[in-house]
Amino acid sequence: MLNYIWISLIVIGILAAIGNDIKDETSNTYRNGVPLEATFEVQAVPSGSASTWKGEVVIPKERFNEFYGVKTVEVDVRQPVAINVGPLNEGTFLLSVSDATPSRWKEMAKSASSKDKLTGKIQKIIFAEDKKSARVQLVFEPIRFVKIKAVTQAALDYANTAVEISIGLIGIMALWLGIMKIAEEAGLIRVLTRMLTPLTRMLFPDVPPDHPAVGAMIMNMAANMLGLNNAATPMGLKAMEELNKISPKAGTATNAMVTFLTINTGGLVLIPATAIAVRAAAGSVNPGIIIGTSIFGAGCATVFGVVAARLLQRLPKYKRELTAESPAQQEVSHG
Amino acid sequence: MGDLFRALVNLVSILTIPLMILVFLSWGFAKKVKVYEVFVEGAKDGFSTAVRIIPYLVAMLFGIAIFRASGAMEVLTSVLAPVTNLIGMPAETLPMALLRPLSGSGSLGLMTELMKTHGPDSFIGVLVSTMYGSSETTFYVLAVYFGSVNIKNTRHAVPAGLIADLFGMLGAVFICRILFNV
Repeated sequence: MLNYIWISLIVIGILAAIGNDIKDETSNTYRNGVPLEATFEVQAVPSGSASTWKGEVVIPKERFNEFYGVKTVEVDVRQPVAINVGPLNEGTFLLSVSDATPSRWKEMAKSASSKDKLTGKIQKIIFAEDKKSARVQLVFEPIRFVKIKAVTQAALDYANTAVEISIGLIGIMALWLGIMKIAEEAGLIRVLTRMLTPLTRMLFPDVPPDHPAVGAMIMNMAANMLGLNNAATPMGLKAMEELNKISPKAGTATNAMVTFLTINTGGLVLIPATAIAVRAAAGSVNPGIIIGTSIFGAGCATVFGVVAARLLQRLPKYKRELTAESPAQQEVSHG
Repeated sequence: MGDLFRALVNLVSILTIPLMILVFLSWGFAKKVKVYEVFVEGAKDGFSTAVRIIPYLVAMLFGIAIFRASGAMEVLTSVLAPVTNLIGMPAETLPMALLRPLSGSGSLGLMTELMKTHGPDSFIGVLVSTMYGSSETTFYVLAVYFGSVNIKNTRHAVPAGLIADLFGMLGAVFICRILFNV
């Protein structure tokens, strides 16, 4: 299943990127080569040998929206710009992109190599009498293959992100595995496990009720509910390690592992702290109002997920995968 | 009532880790466990576990990154929009449902953005934040947890995880419509 989903994500992604780029090219989404009429408000005149004018370009919102065929810009566009004027009333410009920049320009800047700048040619510049402003016609550097470039960049970036995340786990993993080891040797995990045996026997019938895996799973679930992610992941991984020890077949997920993971992906948290923080930051009058609804939603996810896992494990296809030892799998288990 | 619950859970969350460390270590010490040596012994595995996850997480995140950067999500959203309209789910929140299992940071960004445009106390605002809290980043959890023990054949974990996500999202829509829809 994961094979299919993984290859679909990648193939659909790349094909969609190509499709989107062809669409952009044929409908000229980025208006390559088309001049955009704007007003240039001068803030600094060239001094000495330099020929750079500094100021702001101003484009009325209606004109911007019509030019790009969008509806998203709601205020007149004002952007800092540096202009180099040549002898024939033409020149080049360099536009700085900031948070306030319309999203279309942000997209274009991201796709151009310069990231936070947009460059292009000025076809015509006509200064007003007092040289305080000018009418300009801007032609942006052509923007092409936006999505394909973005896909390539994302693939490389996220390969790095994955390593960073994994490396970032080392510290908390070491800390919690150390503490868990003490708890295990002291017999503490066994005590905890015994208290919750009825529940765990129901959820994980394949795991002996006094196995260390059960203790680690309980602690993982408790930490998850309290929103203690830094503790939950190491305990979850410890549980996986223990579950793996009693697996009949290396390299293959057992029923208990899948049930345990489904509980984890259900993500039941008593206080959804991140969502509440974002709500508060967005100015909500009652950021905590989603506590109850989130518990309900995550509860649905967990209950239905576990039921699905328990039903799916009975399918002959999945049963066979756990017992049949194909030659390819044998290699894995020795590797 | 809600505030009391929140204060209580917050208190427990803050106290759990220090108390756990205290209880575990002193219990161990009382049981004559050589605490320092045993801690170091256990902690050794931290490095190897984290490193073992790398290839799995690279595979997962790079696939998801390609999908997200390509604009395929927008296409999928427009295809699925008629279905979600049937169950009374606003079209704006559909990308959230699709993105939640794939990317934690992506869905966080999307939630923030939707709240900015529609307001956190609007129906859409309440619904997206509920949806965000109603599930975990399934594919990330799968990669990390299975990766840590070198499991390549995940059997029914993906369908079960996705069913959990589906019902999490449906549950969120259901409860929000009952409680907040006007």
